[in-house]
Amino acid sequence: MASTTAAAASQPAAPSLALPPSQFARLQPHAYLLAHLSPPASSQQPSIRANGRAPSQFRVTSANTGSLTHTNGSAVVRVGDTTAVCGVKAEILHTEDIASWSVSHSSSSPSNKRRKLTNPTEKPGEDREDGSKDDEDDDNSYIEDFSLLVPNLSLSTGCAPGFIPGAPPSALAQSLSHQILSLLHSSRLVRAEDLEIWYQRPNFGAEELERHNEGEQMDVDAGPEAEEANLEAREIKAFWVLYIDIMIISLAGNPFDAAWTAVLAALRDTKLPRAWWDVDNETVVCSDLVSEARKLSLRGLPVASSFGVFEADAAAGWRAVVIPDAEEERKLAESERKGIQRRWILADPDGYEEGLTQERVSLVVDKTSNGKVKLLKMEKNGGFAVDRKELKDLVDISARRWDDINQILQRC
Amino acid sequence: MGGPIAVLHPLDRADGSASYKCPSTGSNILGSVNAPIELPGRRDALKPEEATIEVFVKPGTAPGGVGERYVEGILRTALGRVILGREKGYPRRGVVITLAIVGGESVGRGGSYLPLLPALLHTATLALLSASVPLSVTLSATVLAVNSAGEITREPSAKEVTTATSLHVLAFTSKGHLLLNESEGTFTFDTWDDVYERALAICHGSSTFGSDGDVAMAETTEGQPLDGIVRDTVEDHIHRDYAWKIDAA
Repeated sequence: MASTTAAAASQPAAPSLALPPSQFARLQPHAYLLAHLSPPASSQQPSIRANGRAPSQFRVTSANTGSLTHTNGSAVVRVGDTTAVCGVKAEILHTEDIASWSVSHSSSSPSNKRRKLTNPTEKPGEDREDGSKDDEDDDNSYIEDFSLLVPNLSLSTGCAPGFIPGAPPSALAQSLSHQILSLLHSSRLVRAEDLEIWYQRPNFGAEELERHNEGEQMDVDAGPEAEEANLEAREIKAFWVLYIDIMIISLAGNPFDAAWTAVLAALRDTKLPRAWWDVDNETVVCSDLVSEARKLSLRGLPVASSFGVFEADAAAGWRAVVIPDAEEERKLAESERKGIQRRWILADPDGYEEGLTQERVSLVVDKTSNGKVKLLKMEKNGGFAVDRKELKDLVDISARRWDDINQILQRC
Repeated sequence: MGGPIAVLHPLDRADGSASYKCPSTGSNILGSVNAPIELPGRRDALKPEEATIEVFVKPGTAPGGVGERYVEGILRTALGRVILGREKGYPRRGVVITLAIVGGESVGRGGSYLPLLPALLHTATLALLSASVPLSVTLSATVLAVNSAGEITREPSAKEVTTATSLHVLAFTSKGHLLLNESEGTFTFDTWDDVYERALAICHGSSTFGSDGDVAMAETTEGQPLDGIVRDTVEDHIHRDYAWKIDAA
């Protein structure tokens, strides 16, 4: 682009042919981005995207939590010009309103029974261990079976010219909602034990109860019988259902990363009031003391990062015979190393770049405490450019992105 | 365990159709393709230089929901790259692909569509071939489950899916490119690398790269490569259609 303007400056005789860069960008978007990414060797300019970023550079991200006062947790996340607002609202679901509860509950709580029947002499320590393992299994079934997490993403806010405010949810909004829900399920981010509301029958004198592990810990010296009685007297009476509503209020490409980061920040901010079953009123009662409310303990911190592939040859997608073999492709890539580049993998594409890329890659990574990278989702679709080697590089880039997002979320 | 059963052109009124049944995952899909057709009342949405591709997925037992919109999006992107929508007669027209899930496990709310995805992709490819829609390459896909012991299961059953730690769907073009990858669950990149090798062997038989000579993988353990099944189905159909001519010759 710089060369065009330079040419225009040196030839004042033909000003009618010179276009300002913004107009050129609209008329010839592909050529415009290509000119930025592969500047002529003579111009001594680095290869850079039209928005001034390096190919693997993400947009400036900021997060702000607790912005909405009427929610249990909320966050506003801005990734460049894409802005997502997320609010988490907790509502109570009584187990008597769950049609399958009496059936599924008796079948899904074998942990208590087994503990009582087969292993009465078990040490409380082991018990805890066993219990937590069972929790892991129960977890998914509770959250998935009873739909305890309900995300919904709305694009009908006038976030971009293509989306009419007040229109029914577009296919994009629906598939993003589904992606967020299935990622919440598959990453098992929220623990079911945080969402359970318990009732403990009074056991000679009022016993303090909040968490269902407490009973086991208290009775270390009371022996297995007391523990048994305790377990028997405990019952799940209700669940918290988390309604996670995401509004994209400004859309400039890559809505998934912004939406997921907003969900993550909002869930980290979510506080649930202390709730218990009041047997006299036969209802769940919540404490209004802020000091008694507790935060969710999330499993890990899955961070999403998306990429788009820009191809120099705009016709690559529709010419019948030009697609080379995978093998030829590799040789081509080798020779390309020195010479001219054909395709660029652009991190965090903005709206302009999204219109020019067909192939998308979306990764969700998490890091364990010892710095090991786990993948939670890896999607690649719509092209032939990204293969094994490229994906490996992208995983490394996503791991670096994890560090950034981790810092941003720690700060807010 | 037998290989998948594919039938070309089971429906008379559609331009092209196919049914595909995978015995190990239990999925059974019926697909139809109408192309090129005029899409009514959609002048603004029609692209002036290429075909508009529409994919509809109909679940067997429930009305479609957000999960279907998502899998439709995946299929549209993958097939959009394969269909030559700029050939003569296709710009401004539509390619409408309808896939009905006839049998197999139904997908619940927020459930994973991955076990069904290869069958949907195969059905769509065969139906497109049957409708003579110009394609740049054909594709073959497989689903693999990795359990907590690190064992890789090819085309897992519903039970194996629930116990798996990660699920992977990989689709390869007939020229060996990775066209689509969808992985979910917890895994490392090394696990995925093994899955990739296995999937390539399933779809293409032997490994297609490396000229050292001794990299050819055991084709027999994986049965017939899926790429070959797509090819054979079409060959058989053509052979039947032209039986009169072959007999006359």
